[in-house]
Order: sequence, then C-alpha cells, then structure tokens
Amino acid sequence: MDSGWLLFATIAVPLTTALIIMAIPSTYKQQVRWVATAAGFTMFVLSVIFFVLYNYKEGGLQFDLRLPWLENVAFLGKDGITLHLAVDGISVPLVLLTGIVIFCGCLISWNIKYRNKDFFILLMLLVSGVFGVFQAADLFFLFFFYELAVLPMYLLIGVWGSSTDFGTYVRTNGYGAMKLTLYLVAGSALVFIGILATFVEAGRGTFDLPVLGQVTYSETFQKTFYPFFMLGFGVLAGLWPFHTWSPDGHVAAPTAVSMLHAGVLMKLGAYGIIRVGMSLFPEGAEFWAPALLVLGTTGALYGAISAMAQRDLKYVVGYSSVSHMGYVLMGLATLNPIGVNGAVLQMFAHGVMTALFFAMVGAIYDQARVREIWTFGGLSQRMPRFVAFFAIAGLSSLGLPGLAGFIAEFNIFAGLFKTYPVFGALGILTAAITAVYILRLLAAAFFGPLNEKWAHLKEMRLLEQVAGAILIVFIVFMGVWPAPFVDRIAQSVLALPGIG
Amino acid sequence: MMGMNDAWLLAALPAGAFAILLIFGPYLPRRGDWLSIAAIGASFVLFFPVLADLLDKIATPGALPGLSGWNWIEYAGFKLRLGFAVDQLTIVMLVVVSFVALMVQVYSVGYMKGDPHYGWFFTCMSLFAAAMLTLVLADNFLLLYIAWEGVGFCSYLLIGFWNERRSAAEAAKKAFVTTRIGDVGLLIGIIMLWRATGTFDIRETFEAARAGVMSEPYLTTAVILIFAGAVGKSAQFPLHVWLPDAMEGPTPVSALIHAATMVVAGVYLVARTLPLFELAHPAALNLVTALGLTTVFMSATMGLVMNDIKRVVAYSTINSLGLMMVALGSGQVAAAMIYLFAHAFFKALLFLGSGSVLHATEKSDVRELGGLWRKMPLTATLFGVGVLAMAGIPPLSGFWAKDEIVLSSSQHQNAFVYGLIVLSVFITGLYMARLFLLTFTGEPRDRHAFEHAHEAPPIMTVPNVLLAVLAVVAGLVVFDQVGEALGFPGGIGKFVYLAEPEAFSFHGDVAAVSIIAALAGVLGAFYFWWGEAKPAKAAGARFPFVYALWKNKYYMDCLYQALIDRVVLVFSRFIAWWDRKIINDTGVNGSAALAVYSSFRLKFLQTGRLPNYAFAIILGVVVMAIVAMTVLV
Repeated sequence: MDSGWLLFATIAVPLTTALIIMAIPSTYKQQVRWVATAAGFTMFVLSVIFFVLYNYKEGGLQFDLRLPWLENVAFLGKDGITLHLAVDGISVPLVLLTGIVIFCGCLISWNIKYRNKDFFILLMLLVSGVFGVFQAADLFFLFFFYELAVLPMYLLIGVWGSSTDFGTYVRTNGYGAMKLTLYLVAGSALVFIGILATFVEAGRGTFDLPVLGQVTYSETFQKTFYPFFMLGFGVLAGLWPFHTWSPDGHVAAPTAVSMLHAGVLMKLGAYGIIRVGMSLFPEGAEFWAPALLVLGTTGALYGAISAMAQRDLKYVVGYSSVSHMGYVLMGLATLNPIGVNGAVLQMFAHGVMTALFFAMVGAIYDQARVREIWTFGGLSQRMPRFVAFFAIAGLSSLGLPGLAGFIAEFNIFAGLFKTYPVFGALGILTAAITAVYILRLLAAAFFGPLNEKWAHLKEMRLLEQVAGAILIVFIVFMGVWPAPFVDRIAQSVLALPGIG
Repeated sequence: MMGMNDAWLLAALPAGAFAILLIFGPYLPRRGDWLSIAAIGASFVLFFPVLADLLDKIATPGALPGLSGWNWIEYAGFKLRLGFAVDQLTIVMLVVVSFVALMVQVYSVGYMKGDPHYGWFFTCMSLFAAAMLTLVLADNFLLLYIAWEGVGFCSYLLIGFWNERRSAAEAAKKAFVTTRIGDVGLLIGIIMLWRATGTFDIRETFEAARAGVMSEPYLTTAVILIFAGAVGKSAQFPLHVWLPDAMEGPTPVSALIHAATMVVAGVYLVARTLPLFELAHPAALNLVTALGLTTVFMSATMGLVMNDIKRVVAYSTINSLGLMMVALGSGQVAAAMIYLFAHAFFKALLFLGSGSVLHATEKSDVRELGGLWRKMPLTATLFGVGVLAMAGIPPLSGFWAKDEIVLSSSQHQNAFVYGLIVLSVFITGLYMARLFLLTFTGEPRDRHAFEHAHEAPPIMTVPNVLLAVLAVVAGLVVFDQVGEALGFPGGIGKFVYLAEPEAFSFHGDVAAVSIIAALAGVLGAFYFWWGEAKPAKAAGARFPFVYALWKNKYYMDCLYQALIDRVVLVFSRFIAWWDRKIINDTGVNGSAALAVYSSFRLKFLQTGRLPNYAFAIILGVVVMAIVAMTVLV
C-alpha cells in the first residue's frame, strides 16, 4: 500500500525536520527558518493531497498502513501493538486543518529570534504528535502521539511565551505553561485508565481500534468508562469547568503555538471523544449525552459572556475558543448525524478561524507590545489589511453566512433542535452574544479616530499577510462551498455506532 | 430565451461584479465604478424578460413558481438548497431593488467623487445588490436567511463607511447588534419550522402547515419568532433605534439600504410568510398590527422635533414601515406592497435630495440651513415633490398608496387603529412640510454655508428627476385600468395578492378624511414654521415634557444604554470575575495549594528513624489481621 506510506510521511516529515534542524548550528537562524518552512509547506501539500484523494463515496478507513511493533508476547496477542495509520472522513479534514495551521505557523514564526532552532524543533515534535493522533487506528499509539503533542507545549510556552500584567496581578507564562501541562496530563491519566480498562475488558490482546470497535461491551462497563474518555479528552477540548487552562495557556503562548494549540490541539480532545469514546461505547455516550450537553452549553454561553468582559485582545480570543469548543461538544451530545456532522465542521471552522485570530493578535502585539483593547483606536487607518483580516475572523466566529462558522453552527443548531430545542435556542443566543463582543472589540480597537499614540504603526509583515490570506481562503472556501467537507464527514459520521 | 428560470442571473451579475472589484478594483480605471453600475444596470434590464415570462406563465395554472437552484449540501435527509423562484411578490421587489440601486449608484458617482475609498464604496454596493436580490429571489428560508444576514453585513460596512468617525463606527455596531437580536428569533423560527416540516422550502412549508403538521401554539411561536427578525430589519418598535443612527453612512447608502430596499426586507418577509401568520393564532397578526401602530405613532412624533435633515427623513421611513406592517397585520398584502413600491421611489428621492443639500452645504442640521430655494431650485422642487408624496397629498403616489392602507385599516381594524392612522397622516404632513420649510424657505441661518451652496451636477440631478417622475405617477398603479394597460391582467392589486384577489376600491369618504388630515398637516406646518417659527417655539415651551420626551426619542436609547452598561456588562464582568477568582484562583490554584500543603505535612512521616517504621509495620499488620478476620469469619 503506497498511499499508506504517504500517511506515514506526515509524521515522518516533521520528525526528520526536527533532526535536521538539530544538526544546523544555532547561529544559522535563517537556514533554520527555511528548513522549517519547507517542512511546513510539505505537510500542507500532503494534507491537501489526503483531502483530495480520500474517496468519500467508498468511505471508511483509507490509506491503511500497519507496522507491527509488539505482538504475541506476554498479554499481547496478534496485532498487539501496531503502528496502524489510517484516516476516515472525520480525520481527513482535521489532517488538512493541521497542515494549514502548521504551515501558517511556520510563516508567522520567522520573527522569532531567541533560540529559534530549539523553537522549531519543539514545534515539529508537537505537530508530528498531532498528525499521529488524527491518523492512529491503534489505541496505544493514539495515546503515545497524544502525549507527544501535549508535552513540547510546556517548553514552548515556558521559554518563548509572554506574561500579562493586569495591574493588580500578573499571569506569567510560567504559570500558564504549568497549568496547561498539569491539566492535560491529568486528563490523559483518565484516558490512560480508560484505555487499559478497555483493553482488558475486550480481551482480544490488541490495541487495534477497528478490532476493539467490533467488541460489544456490557452496558455497565460502557456507562462506567465512557466518562473517563469524555472528561479526559474533554479537558483538552476546553470542557467547562475544566477550561481555565485554555485562556491562560493561549495568552501565555507565543503566536504560532497559540495558533496550533487553539486551532488544532483543542480538536484532539473533541476528536478523541468521537474516535474512542463514541465509537467504542455508544451506549455510554447515550447515557452521558445530557451531561455533555449541559457542560457544553454552559461552556459556550459562559465563554461568550466572559469574553465580553475581557480587556486583553488575546483573552477575548481565548474565551471565544472556550465558547466555540462548547458548540462542538453540544453538537457531539446530540448524537444525531446533523449535530455530529456540525460538530466536526465546527472543529475545522474554529481551527482556521482561531488560527487567524491568534496570528492577527500576534501581528499587532509585535508592533505595539500591548494588547489592551481600549488603548487602541482607529487602527484601520494605519493597518487596513490587518483590520480586514481580523474582522473576517470575527465575522466567521459570529456566524456570518458565506464564512466557515455559519455552516458549521447551522448544522449544530439544526441537530440540537432535533433532540433538544431549548439548547438549540441557547446556542443561537450564544451566537448573538458573540456578535456583541466581536463588534464591540472591532469598534473600540480598530475604528473611530486614530489614537495618535499608534500613528507609528505600519501594516503587518508580508509573511503575516500570506499566512492570513491562506487561512482566509479556507474560511471562505468552506463557507461558500461546504460540500467537499460535508461529503467526507457525513458518511463517516453515519458509520459511527449509535448515530442515525 | 431568458425567463424566470434564469432570474438568479439578476443576483449573480452584481455578485460577479463584487468579486472582481474586491480583487482587482484598485487596478481598474475609475476604480471600477462603471463595472458595478453596468452589473446592476444589466440586472434591471433582465428584469423585463423575467416579468414577461411570469405574465405568460401566470395564465397557465400550475406553471408557477419558476424554479432553479442547486443543492448546497445534502446528507442523511438533511438538504440545504440554494434555490431561486419568482412570483408576484418577488417581481415587485425586483423592480424596486434593481431600479433604485441603479439610480443610487449613478448618483453616487457624483456624490462620492474624491472620496479616498471610492472604489470600496462601489464594491460594497455591488455586494449589497447581490444579497438583496438573492433575498427576494430565495425560494427557501435558508437562502433567505443567508441573504438576510448578507444585506445586514453590507449595511454594517456602509454605515461604518467613514469609520474614522467615532459616531459612524458606533452606529454601524449598533445597527448590526440590534438587527442581530431580531435575527436570533428569525433563525430559531426557521429551524422550528424545519423541525416540524422537514423542509426549508417556503412553499412546501406552507403546504405542510396547511396539512396541519404543527400545533397552533407551535406555529404561532414560530411565526412570532420570524416576525422578530422583521422587527429588527424593518426598524419596528422596540428595535427601531438603530435606523436614525444609521444616517451616519453616506447619503446614497441611506437612500438605497435604509429607505428603499433593505429595511423593507422585514415587510417582504412578513408578506411572504403571511399564509403562516393566517394559520397561526390571531395573536400573531395582532402583534404585527400593534407593533406597527406603535412604530407609526412614535416615529411620527419624534420626526416632528428632530433637526437633522436625514434623521427626519429616517423617522419618516420608520413611519412608513410601520404603516406597511399595519397593512400586513390586517392581512392586506397588496396594500403593503403597493405602498412599498411607491415609497421606494419618493423616499429614495427624499434622501438623494437631502444628499444634494449636504453635498452643497456640508450641513445637515436644519437650524443651519434655510433659504436654499434660491440657490438650488431644481433640488428644492424635487424634494418638494418627495415631501408632498410622503405627506400623502393627491395626486402624488404617496396618496394612493397610503389611501390603500388607511382604507384597509378602516375596514379591517377597530376605530382606535383607524383613528391613530389618520392622526399619523396628519403628523406626517406636519413634519414633512416642516422639513421643507426649514431647509428651503426663509432666511439662510448660516450665511457661509448658504454662499457656498450650488445646484448639484447632472449626474446627481438626473437620477433625482427620474425618481421624482415615479414619485408622481407610481401610485397610479392602484387603478386596475393602469395595471391592465401595463399588461397585468386584472390590475396590480389582483396580481400581487397571492391568496384571494382583491379589487382596488376607492371610498370617497375615507379618502376625504385622509386628504383633509394630510392637508391640515401641511398647512399646519406653514402656521408653525413659516418665517420665524414662533408658534412652534411657543408650543415647545408650553409642553416641555412632551418636547423632551420626543426629543429624547422616548428615552429608549438611554434605556438600552443603561441596560447594556448596568446589566449586561455588569453581568459579564461578574462572570469573568467568577471565572478568575472562584474557578481559577480558588478551585484550580486552591487544589494545587492543597497538594503542596498536604505533601509538606505528610513529609514529616518520613522521619528516617527505624523504631517509627517498625511501629508502623506492626500497626499495619495488626490492622490487616483484624480486617482479614472480620471478612473471613
């Protein structure tokens, strides 16, 4: 299977690049940038190829690759632990998302001067982990890649991050990094327990997901162990009330890491809930759906209301991520094809949108060195393109038709109305609150008379414009022509047990 | 042959122009204004074959509606379609939108000349035309909602066109947020209808509703929520507050978006979904009437005391929108649509006229104008035609159209509604004539502005003249003979009304009452505001409370501001504080502190002394033995 090796390449390219960069002396900063960007571009191209080549009419897992690692030893039977990579219609848009965001992240990170070699090494490790999670069809390796994606984050935020001074108290990047890591490790501990319990209960001596998916687990077992996945992965998806690592962590992180983290890593959580929780334990998912629904809705509303009160540009985006991931969880909780399809669409839509948001916040922070909304004013006169890009991200987030956010949210709302109309209405209300905080932000920071303090600001750097333009292309593409996404996602969503 | 099935082209042409202008606009000669005008001009021309085709098909039962469209997404029985259809309601909207848009864009060539964002203006205008035409052509609620949000977004862009002004930025935000509140209702209503009927298609929804798939309370809730969208978009009480502020945009924008087209989208929506309103509990239509009537009365009184020329015209627009809603509340689609049709021309005319004044004097406050009759005779005449049309003086179009509504309210509503409508006709005459007197007659109050005033260039006056001609004659379409002559079998009224044809009837008594009211208003204005306007000042001084109430817009802006500042923002700050202090600092940091503290305490168990460990071992063994014995025995 040649195409399977192509899938392996998306993991191998960043790992190899990390090795190559290690061999480059740290004074050769420009070469490091070029190598990393070339790798980012390769991953972008590969992910587009998967998206295009994935045959949605056939459906199911494609680009299958199996590399046996351990089998027939001790408690492991045939295919015990296999590097089993494959993608279906749910993972393929997320692989595309990862490719887009890492390429744009590399472009944005050209301005990193302090130890940029180490920065890119860690970034490459992280992204190989992300690709691994979206492609793994083996629980062991899924967990392995999950940890690989989470841990470089600590160093990336701790070393390259920034602190925020609120006057009365300071949120340091050390604090943000520590909280994020502890939270995610605690979540993965729950996931680990769940994985081991599933392995033992299934009794097939294998971690292979398709095999585990054929096993029928007892109802009690499902009800007991589904929460381990729901909460464990949910932490990474910003599940309320375990969300506080997210705004603090995103704000503390350097731009490219915020983009990857809010854009892609939070999706690992939601993806884990679908791939492991809902696929293996449909009855557990059904039993716990009301809880997930309530927590998701609370997160959506609560994140939006909190965002309205924030004074720091990046905190607004951070809380809006909590809010939008709340939509994803609401969509998953519907357990009907429309809602779950909407949730996956929203994962992609929020990914590109929030990456654009963070890229733009980084662009202004680079020049102004502050992010306080109310100290700006009239920036559109100095940086029209920057304001246009930021506004497009904002409009997508408030659900303007023609941009990605609308079609995703529309599916989620329709799905919610099928089963839980009141929560659907709350979701639509949240979209209106989003409009309030986005439009307030735009009016206060970017429109109105130019604050003379900022007369020296220039249009953002060319690379930032290129990265922003790439993200906008995908926001508009999905908003105008969602069919390629829906075709891929819907058939895999319908194949999930307990959906339909 | 071009027919109804190609009607989507009307929207596609400006959409194409928008795409080209967005990308290549800055590199085109004249920033591409010609492209935008050519596209909307072509749409206007294409309207005629569509109309001809419709008139052909209307004779053949079952040939309607003409449909074309594409599936947008489809899976698991969930189908979203971008479908276009033409029927009688759509035709009325199409001609209004494409013609007024064309006139306004031509006018803008003169009005926006020299603006640093000249090209961007035409880009937005093209997008607006595309979205507005899509809105009226949509055959399903989803596409309608998409276009609905699209026109709202264009309105946001264009109100904030001069966003370097704080007031423009705030007005744009206010318009978007306020209409968005109504849109929450609209979207919920649409999804509720889909949930019950399984389709977004408007006609299929009607059929399902007639078949009774929805209980009455469910349907009533859904239509009231849909009406909420119309309340926001058509600036009905209590969401009317954004429209006067929207005058911060360039005047051509006010003429096109905030007078002739976008704001009537709400009226169109209610007219379009009237079959659902009629199936629902009567409370739904009564609500339409009640809010419409409140809007009519409030806007008329506020229009009396405002000093900004554009804002007075804006209040007259709100007033007209209220009238159309009252007509719809009585179930009179034809009356509402004919008013909508006539109103588009004379209101665009009024706005473009105020634009010419603004362009010439750079003043919009009537206290700084006056006497412009002498400097701008043509503009003054055309504006005067608009004023008389809006006031409802025969034989101008406003009279015939308004008479339809007055008549329908006299027949279908109680005496209170009828009385209020007649009163509003009087007040309308009063404030419209006042506006004209203060702007064009008397002595100039700002010499400098007056000296600089000059007649507008032909590119601006020609569209005005064309609109004025229509403002005079458009109302004649109420006569069945005129409709027949134009090729509409049985007259326009019969053509427009979807359910049961109603013939236009002229009741001399009702018309006499409304003519007397309108004339009394206009003459009253001469009494109050001619010359020094002493009687008006005296009246204001005599009733300071009423004056303050109207001047402060019934304190609704203050109320909403207080609601946002004192309730919404306070609540959001509380949630943010809760998140930081309770969830994070207490919950998250607290559990971390607890772990640190307990490990600090527990570390003293590790004494390093053998006897302590030996004791612990013995204790452990004893405890285990006891447990084991209890379990085993």
